[in-house]
Order: sequence, then structure tokens, then C-alpha cells
Amino acid sequence: MKLDINGKTIEVPDAPSRLLLWVLRDELGLIGTKFGCGAGICGSCTVHVNGVATRACITPLSAVAGKAVRTIEGLAEAKANGEVKLHPVQQAWIDEQVPQCGWCQSGQMMQAAAFLQQTPKPNEAQIVEAMSGNYCRCGCYMRIKQAVARAAQVNIAQHDEVNA
Amino acid sequence: MSDAKSSQKRKWRVSRRGFLIGTGVLGAGLALGYGVGLPKARLQMAGMFDGGIRPSNLPVEPMQWIEITPANKVIFHLSKIEMGQGVHTALAQILAEELEAAWANIEVRHASTARGPVDANGTTGSTTVSSNYNSLRQIAATMREMLRAEAAKLLNVSAASLVAQNSMFVAGASKISYGEVVKAHVGNWELPKDKPTLKTPSEFKLIGKPAPRVDLPAKVQGETVYGLDARLPGMLYGAVAMPPTLGATLRRASVGDANDQPGVRKVVIEDGFAGVVAESRQQAQSAVNALTLVWDEGKRWQQSDVDAMLEINERELVAIQQEGNGVLPSRGVGVIEAHYSSPFAAHAQLEPQSALAEVQADRARVWVSTQMPSLARSEIAKALGMKDEQVDVIPTFIGGGFGRKYGADVGIPAARLSRAMGGKPVHVSWTRSEEFQHGYLRPPTRHILRGVLGADGRIDGLTHLQSSGEVAGAFLPAAMMTALGSDFGAWRGGRIHYAVPNRYVGTKFVKLPARTSWWRGLGLLANTFAIESFIDELAHAAKVDPLAFRLKNVGNDERGERFRKVLTAVADKAGWGRPAPAGRARGLACCIDGNAVVAQVAEVSVETGGAKPKIRVHRFVSAIDAGLVINPDGVKAQTEGAIVMGISSALLEQATLVDGRVSANNFDAYPLLTMRDTPSIETVIVPGGDQPFGVGEPPLGPVAAAIGNAVFALTGKRLRDLPLAL
Ligand code: FES
Ligand code: FES
Repeated sequence: MKLDINGKTIEVPDAPSRLLLWVLRDELGLIGTKFGCGAGICGSCTVHVNGVATRACITPLSAVAGKAVRTIEGLAEAKANGEVKLHPVQQAWIDEQVPQCGWCQSGQMMQAAAFLQQTPKPNEAQIVEAMSGNYCRCGCYMRIKQAVARAAQVNIAQHDEVNA
Repeated sequence: MSDAKSSQKRKWRVSRRGFLIGTGVLGAGLALGYGVGLPKARLQMAGMFDGGIRPSNLPVEPMQWIEITPANKVIFHLSKIEMGQGVHTALAQILAEELEAAWANIEVRHASTARGPVDANGTTGSTTVSSNYNSLRQIAATMREMLRAEAAKLLNVSAASLVAQNSMFVAGASKISYGEVVKAHVGNWELPKDKPTLKTPSEFKLIGKPAPRVDLPAKVQGETVYGLDARLPGMLYGAVAMPPTLGATLRRASVGDANDQPGVRKVVIEDGFAGVVAESRQQAQSAVNALTLVWDEGKRWQQSDVDAMLEINERELVAIQQEGNGVLPSRGVGVIEAHYSSPFAAHAQLEPQSALAEVQADRARVWVSTQMPSLARSEIAKALGMKDEQVDVIPTFIGGGFGRKYGADVGIPAARLSRAMGGKPVHVSWTRSEEFQHGYLRPPTRHILRGVLGADGRIDGLTHLQSSGEVAGAFLPAAMMTALGSDFGAWRGGRIHYAVPNRYVGTKFVKLPARTSWWRGLGLLANTFAIESFIDELAHAAKVDPLAFRLKNVGNDERGERFRKVLTAVADKAGWGRPAPAGRARGLACCIDGNAVVAQVAEVSVETGGAKPKIRVHRFVSAIDAGLVINPDGVKAQTEGAIVMGISSALLEQATLVDGRVSANNFDAYPLLTMRDTPSIETVIVPGGDQPFGVGEPPLGPVAAAIGNAVFALTGKRLRDLPLAL
């Protein structure tokens, strides 16, 4: 079957019971999407499916047929000259020095990017609500909250348009 | 991923000043390594608790090495693993400071066991920065002076006229980069005769200033390679049959239907071991379920068995602290007694155990997420019947360690399966359920506290009787544990640091049916919870404010002075003594760990209306004297992380044994704290001396006690069991 991943069409063997997470990681080498629980609880595996934050560990391949999947590897903008322009969420994650071990952070950033797309000017309570389904065992929550607020000051829609 | 050079063993010779010079340097360049030595295990352990590990003057093997390339890069090969604690950044700051290297030119890498550093200490105990600080400055300065001498020759000027800055020497109009010096150099490098002059703290440009973490650009792009991410061409995936109950052993295994499952390449049944290799991870994991397995299950342990094993019988205890009259009697005149407990807890690090192994007939390479590459290597070598030197462990970044990534774990089955596949690379990782069931846990503890008050708010006697599942005992030889008599991991944080004339601490450790061992801070959280909650009880009994009570009892020595400063700093910041916002109250607790002094104030409320009253932490203020701080932002980040983990432990986390299994298989039965319940956290750094102490664990110590003490202040109910519940 054909998958649309980070704007590229990729052919993979058809087996609908296979889970998106392991196809991304083990077959396509997109290791940026992480595993934490395999049960939809921790959010480490969050990707976008048609722009919606989705947990890849419980998403069968069949559920993404014909849909656009975006992973952390597709969040930054790759410029023609080979340079990479980070997504405002990624830049905010650096500016706020968010990650510790980093394991949960792809999922956190994908969650935040999808959220800000929907809610470009969130208040604190909305940020907390949107981000409270993602675990961070290193305990970076305060910085994650600050980084989401910081990223919200940048025009995310504009970045994503350029990137698409 | 593949690293052709990794099998080239570097040779080291001890130079006359105790530095190690690498020979057989890969490519052109200058490389120096240094060691912190291999002090006797016991001294090291003692040091861990009473002042941190100090570098030895007699390095045996290099711990880290530093390479300057002709392209003017500084490559810093570290045996210390980055698992989020920021050590790659802090060590790079120390290196750049004395080497006068340009920050942007430094590249930090994990060293594999074959390329030189075999670090017997691993990355544990919040000791990386403190144990490397002095040696690293010495070697960086030495390297700078060696380069200076060479640069002076090349530029034909006096060495003294050269100013080192930004990986370059400048003298008037002429300048030369470190890379150019290295490129132009011929022959052996000579170590300078004199010890280099180190900077005074007032000359520091990088140490003590916030530095951006060197590992973050890759991490925000999802490029960092952790154990689960290790890949090689043609790799396969393995899964292993795991015992259905604690302590069960495999009596018989047969292939069953496993061979007929899709993608299965091989079923491997060896002595006591059954595993499957398949083309995908999902296939391997489901094929394991098709094996026919017969287990010897033994006893189905229950939590009540554990509770009975932990019961404290005073005659069984080994004293670890004894001053004055020693142990207080249970029913003496004026004796106040209280009992505390903490439960089994999981590390719940989000990256599961993961390893990729490639095992040829005479050599093996294993990529593994481990805090102890040297131990992982010997464990894997032993399992394969190889010599240590035949195995190269290539440590990856770690997706959360907290003490759980100690040794090889799945590196062993990965290696066995790879060997069975004739050397094809095989990756094995655990599911979350395997993590909960087959890892090791933080041990449960029981505490009896007794105190007697003296005149004017002083404590006259304090006794702490403690029992715990083993911590260090899980990894150290039984003979050593017998000789020690107590488990220093289990009692960490359990000694009494108040200046009480009659002090006694006695402990026992028990091997429990579920494996227990290292967990961030070891016994620190549980012991500090018991002692600092009890100190609060004594303060209330004495009718003295808990801050004033502590200030009175910390003693007048240097340590007491440090406590006083930190307690005062946290109280000032938190507004101690002023009324808390309506419906809230504050609680205070403190500890000393690895020489870092921490004091914290929690501000809590209790929400009623749900099924059970809910303790909510609104604000958390933490002050720390961690000695010399290398990266203040790193100290803040570690403090924030430790507090979140501490609140999660204090309010939510608990595992029990049920019918021979751990009660949780996933986070639905073992939830972690989320952003919703994370308070605002403020960190105050109290200036300390001229040596750095660890910060990864100390701020975890007082968290639960500060919350419990706040709940008491608010409700008058004393909570003595973790997790705290009203
Ligand atoms: S791994 Fe998908 S939610 Fe945890
Ligand atoms: S940064 Fe380690 S789990 Fe979030």
C-alpha cells in the first residue's frame, strides 16, 4: 500500500494489522517517533494524521491509507540550500531548553504543533489541557508549558504553509 | 551506525604527572585522556555518602579523552552517558574553560568500550561532574600549554606572548588555530614540566554561566540515537519468553506453532531460555506467544508476604550511626514514636530496555542503552563465553535511566539470538508490561522514628530504625554485603544530620521476591520522607515553628551553617511565616546528599468533592547549595525534574505484589504525574564552595516530606505512608 509520509509517497507491504509506529521506526527508519507504552497512554509516539495528533502505537496502517502522516522528521523546513529551518515549536523547545533525556519530546512537540495549529492563541489552561496526555518522566512539564506559550507567539500557520 | 574504527584498541601509558596519553591516535591530532582512578570499592561507597567521590591521583585507565583535530575541532570522547542530566554540556563547559576552546568547535561523543575508556563507575550517583571537575581542568589546561609551546615555535614568538582564546593563539597581528598547530606538529608531544596554572573562579568565562545543552539540537529534530533506535543493515528482531510469575524458571520449551508464525526466522531454545527471531518486532513478539512453555512457578507471592519480611525487629538491625546513648526505648519517658512506610515503585523511564547485538564467532558488538557500559560488556561477554576484550559495548543516548539502565539487560538475549542467527544483527526491546514485570523496582521501606525533646526546642534524642528491600545488594557480591552488614543504597539519606546528642540509626535489608535495586537517589526519598516528616512532628510537639525548629537543631558546625543558609533562602523565597493564599498551607523539609544541601517548601491545598480528597501542590520552592555550580540552568532543570518525579512518587506511585506478579502492566495501573498536576517550581541556587557537588538526585529527597508536612499544616492530619492519601 501507499503511504504519504512527510509529503513523500512511500510504498510499503500491505498488512493492515501492522502498527504505524513500528512501520515508521523499524521499516522506514524514522526513529524520531518513540515508543513508551504501546497502549495510547503516554504520548511518546504522537504523529500527525491529516494534521490531527495521533498515537502511532495503536494506529493500524489501514487507518492512515490515503491520509497525510507527518512525523518529527517532517516538522522542520528543509530549505533548498540544505539548511534546516526549525518549526517554531522546535525553536521554542531550544529557547526554553526543554528536553532532558529527550525521549518523550518528539511526541510532546507533535502534540504541541497540532494543538497550536487548532488554537493559535491559547491561554495557560488550554495549554495544560492539551499537553496533559503526554508523559515526561524527566519532569520537563514546566518548560514544555513555557515553550508552547512561546511558540504561540510565532505564526505557526505561516511556517506550516511554507513547509507544505 | 556502523563504526569501523571501534575495534582499534587505544593504548595508554601513564605519564609522569598521572595523565594518560593515548598512542595509536586515530588520524592526525593530539589526544589526551585522564582517569579518576579505580578507588577501592568501599572507599568509593563511603565517599558517595560523605562528600562525593574525589578523583584519585593515580589513574589506571582513562575516563575520557580529548582530541584536537587538524580541522580545529575538539572531540570529547566521554565514558559518561547523557541521559538527560546534562553532563555532556557541563563537562564540555569545564573543558572549554581551561582549554580556551571555542564553544562551537566542541563535539561530545559517547566512547565505546573498545575505544579506550572503560569506566568502572558508570554514570550513577550524581557524581559525574564532581568526580571529573579537577582532573578535567588539569588536563584541559595541560593540553592548552602543550599547544601553546608548539604554537610559539611555529610563530617564532615567546610562549608567554601568546593569548589563548576561541581555539586559537593570538600574539599581536599573528594568530594560529589549535587545528593548525596540530597539523603542523611532527613527532611526539611532550608534556610540560610544570603543572599548568588553573584559572581562579573570577576568571571563569563559561563555568557558572548558563550554557545551552549540546545535545538539544539533535533531540528536537528526532535525530538522537537511543538504544531502541540502533540500526544496522539486515537487522532482525528478537523477543524472549518471560516468566509468568516472579522467580519462575523454564522447565521445558518446545517450538509449538512458533515456526509457522509470519516472519519467523528462527526459534532459539537453549538451556532455560526460549526466544524467537523474526523480520519485525511485532512478529517476534507475537510468535513468542506461540511457543509451548512449561514453567516451574514456585510460590505465588502476595504483598502480605513482603510486608511480613519488612517488619522491624530491633535485634536484627545493624547500626549505621550511633552517638551518645544510642537507641531510644519504645516506651521511655517523653518518647514520641511514629511509623512510616514507602511502597515498591517503578522507574517508569519511557525508553524500555533496548539493545542491538551483532555477534560473530570471535567478537561481538552491542549497542545498548546503559548507564554502565563496562558492566554491560562483562555481563554480555560472560553470557557468550567470551573475554571482555572480545566484546565492544557502544553506549547510546538513554531515554531515561533513573538507575534502571544498569548493566546489559536485554543486551544479553540480543547477543544470544544474534549468535544463533550466525552473526546477523538482532534487536531486542522490552514492552511496557515486561518493564513493569521483569525489571527491578525501588524497594519498599518501613521506618520507626523515636524522639525525645530537650530544653528550649532542641532535640535530645533521635532514633531511626529502618528496613528496606535491597538496593546495592542486587548488584554487589554477597560476600561484600555480608561484610558491610548493611545496604548503603537502602540507607542513603537515612542517617540523622541534625546535631542531636543521642542519635541512633539501625537498618536491615531484605532480599524480596521481586527484584529491587537502584532508583534515582536510592533510599533518599523514603528515608528523607520518614525523618523530615518526623522532625515536623517533633517541631509541632515542641510548639516551635518548623523552620525555627530546624534552624535550632542543625548544629553550629560548617554543615549546620550551610543548612541554615539554604533553609533561610528557601523560607525567604517561599514567604514562610507569612500567611499562605486562602485554602493553602506550606510545608518545609530538607536534606543533605552527596554534600549538596537542599531545602524545599511545598504549598498545597486539598480538593474535596471527588471520590477521594485530592492533594494538590500549587507551588514548590527549592533551594540548593551544590557547591560550585557549572551550569545554573542545568541545576534548575535537574531540580525541576527531581521535584516532578518526587511529587509523582509522593502522590501517585505504588506497586504491590499480587499472585506472584507486579500489580501493574502498564501506565493505566501505574499513572505518572502530568502537566495538569505539576506546580510552578522555583529554584534558588545558594552559592557554595569551590568544588561542585551532584544535583541529579539531592532535590528529590525532601519532596514527599515537604508535601506531607504541608498537608499536616492544612488539615492537622499526619500522613505517614507513601503515596500520601487523605
Ligand atoms: S507509545 Fe503510544 S501512547 Fe505510549
Ligand atoms: S525528556 Fe525524558 S521523558 Fe521527557
